Amino acid sequence: MADVTNFDAIVVGSGISGGWAAKELTEHGLKTLVLEAGGPTDPNTDFVEHVQPYEMHFRGLGDRKLLERDHPIQRECYACDEMGHKFFVKDAENPYTAPDDAPFRWFRGRQVGGRSITWGRQVYRWSDLDFEANAKDGHGNDWPIRYADIAPWYSHVERFIGITGANEGLSQLPDGEFLPPMPMTVVEEFARPKILAAFGGERVMTIGRAAILTKDHNGRFACHYCGPCERGCITNSYFNSIGSTLPAAQKTGNLTLRPNSVVAEVLYDPKRGVARGVRVIDANTMESREYTTRLVFLCASAIESVRLLLLSKSTRFPDGFANSSGIVGRYVMDHHYGSGASGTVPGFTDKRTTGRRPNGIYIARFRNVKTAHPDFLRGYGMQGGSSRSGWSRGGRMLGYGADFKNSLINDLGPWQLSASGWGETLPNPDNRVTLDDSVKDKWGIPAARIDVRWRDNERAMDRDMQTAMAEMLDAAGCTDIRTHGSTNPPGHCIHEMGGARMSKTPEDGVLNQWNQAWDVKNLFITDGACMASNGCQNPSITYMALTARAVDHAVAEMKAGAL
Amino acid sequence: MDRRTLLKSLVAAGTVGLIPHDAFAAWERVASGLVPTDGLTDAQLARIGAIADMILPRTDSPSATDVGVPAFVNVIVSENYSDAERSTFIADLDELDPDLIDEIEAMKNRRSEPARTYWRLKDLIIHGYFTSEPVMDNVLHYVVMPGKFDGAAAMPVVLQRSNHG
Repeated sequence: MADVTNFDAIVVGSGISGGWAAKELTEHGLKTLVLEAGGPTDPNTDFVEHVQPYEMHFRGLGDRKLLERDHPIQRECYACDEMGHKFFVKDAENPYTAPDDAPFRWFRGRQVGGRSITWGRQVYRWSDLDFEANAKDGHGNDWPIRYADIAPWYSHVERFIGITGANEGLSQLPDGEFLPPMPMTVVEEFARPKILAAFGGERVMTIGRAAILTKDHNGRFACHYCGPCERGCITNSYFNSIGSTLPAAQKTGNLTLRPNSVVAEVLYDPKRGVARGVRVIDANTMESREYTTRLVFLCASAIESVRLLLLSKSTRFPDGFANSSGIVGRYVMDHHYGSGASGTVPGFTDKRTTGRRPNGIYIARFRNVKTAHPDFLRGYGMQGGSSRSGWSRGGRMLGYGADFKNSLINDLGPWQLSASGWGETLPNPDNRVTLDDSVKDKWGIPAARIDVRWRDNERAMDRDMQTAMAEMLDAAGCTDIRTHGSTNPPGHCIHEMGGARMSKTPEDGVLNQWNQAWDVKNLFITDGACMASNGCQNPSITYMALTARAVDHAVAEMKAGAL
Repeated sequence: MDRRTLLKSLVAAGTVGLIPHDAFAAWERVASGLVPTDGLTDAQLARIGAIADMILPRTDSPSATDVGVPAFVNVIVSENYSDAERSTFIADLDELDPDLIDEIEAMKNRRSEPARTYWRLKDLIIHGYFTSEPVMDNVLHYVVMPGKFDGAAAMPVVLQRSNHG
């Protein structure tokens, strides 16, 4: 491997998007190099989902001093805990900056598999409501594609990775090719028809659609409901690249995977007007080397791919690679999320759950679908679930002694139902990623400077998430309803998008309708950077579908001699 | 039988949990390291044990001290608390006379001294108890790989497949 430096295709990143690029490119017969900045992942030793609290020194409460030292930012992500922190970067090695009045949380996983190991696994197709949104209200640019362009590729991805879910026939949340749905709890089943009836059928609570197998699929095993997917899965029951797309790529014999390879620059060939390859810094030896190729796919995550473009300057591109539009780094988005409500569902105390469902309920977007909301544009979906608290309520409960103990063991407490919104953010040119040359990472590469802010539309939507959810809980007969407002800064949702958006014209964006750079025909960007708006759905499946579609186009152009 | 086939059969049987490689290292650390070098004194641990056993006494299931709750509290207070938090904890612990537990529980303001430390301690005691191996195995009947999810299972709680916690 060490001697080969020329490949048909180079993919930067080995996570959700990079894994898909690798699979599709290698299956088309292209000798493909996948470059991953982090180290290798070995499921046999790195996946720790079955480690029980009594096997952990801090019983799952986390090694606070280690987390404060190594992961002061990353630890704000729920998955960066006592067992899972190894799947998150060390913040001191991977700095970024933000204005004092605009905090941003950038949660990152540098290892083979990227953030596909720790992702939330929720998958929802976009609809034309989303692809037409920018054109209709004038925020951002019109998408160069519509639902019909991507629908077959959603199916292509769903068939391969396996998605559990229920079809609902909603125009704003298209049906998919689903494995059997996971069950709702008894109180979710109770609440669904009450909420439907109370709001004229407009608010549909469905079981979450998740990249988790409810039956054996493509050589992977059905979920065994152990619970903490974010620590890995030894049975490959949820989708990540290391258990699914990368093995498929490996099987072709066309894959070269090179961990510990920090890509520092995309190299431009001014004579041919193409990307001729990349410059890589070995993460361990700091040695610099070049790889050459006919085709480059950036799948490094939205902000990393933008950073790489901005770092790659030349006479032709003094402001960053493929940036003749000046739009690289602009229109960065994340979902504003976490505002909602919770309540107690009376009764059903003769019922409980068994098994730990790694999925919840989803309330499809209902704002600005049929009628315009007076306070804000776009909309939000809601995610939540129900449970009985069990012994964990004991720390707040009055009492002690034998009866107290007995009640914690034999009574699970009341049912709680809650949900929170995941809201669309308006595309804004001032939400921007640039370089901060005064701060460099461990490998001497200038850090990203991130200035992304919530604005009035997002704040108005957050308020509505709370009242709308409270109304739904009231309709479901809940008592003790409490709203909660989110204080999460941008980035916290880990749905960062934009910065190299697709567009209808070269002046209006960075990528064409095939995720192909307008300025450099053999450069494709298929991670979140390509997004021209951000919908309210969890975005990963859209990246996967766009990646497969882009590879199909790139291969066709190669065969036609255009690349 | 390869690893995957074995796993599959374990899942189908719903009876046996799998402990991957990392768990052993974690467990060895727990087994050998439960006494922090700069930990609480024997007298402080004895008081924590007395309070813990008042909250969770021995019944047909073990007591808090039976499953080593004071050692867990010691780890958290000594290794996870900041210096300021630990000082507050130790100062308040002197005032947490087990004979006064009714008065302390009745205090309306849970942030006053020593109630603030009592409620933190109570939370730790309950966490330590219900995450201990004997309690997870024999009281909660916790199954690592339940094999299915049922959202409307019948009570009572103690089942072969439990999702406690």
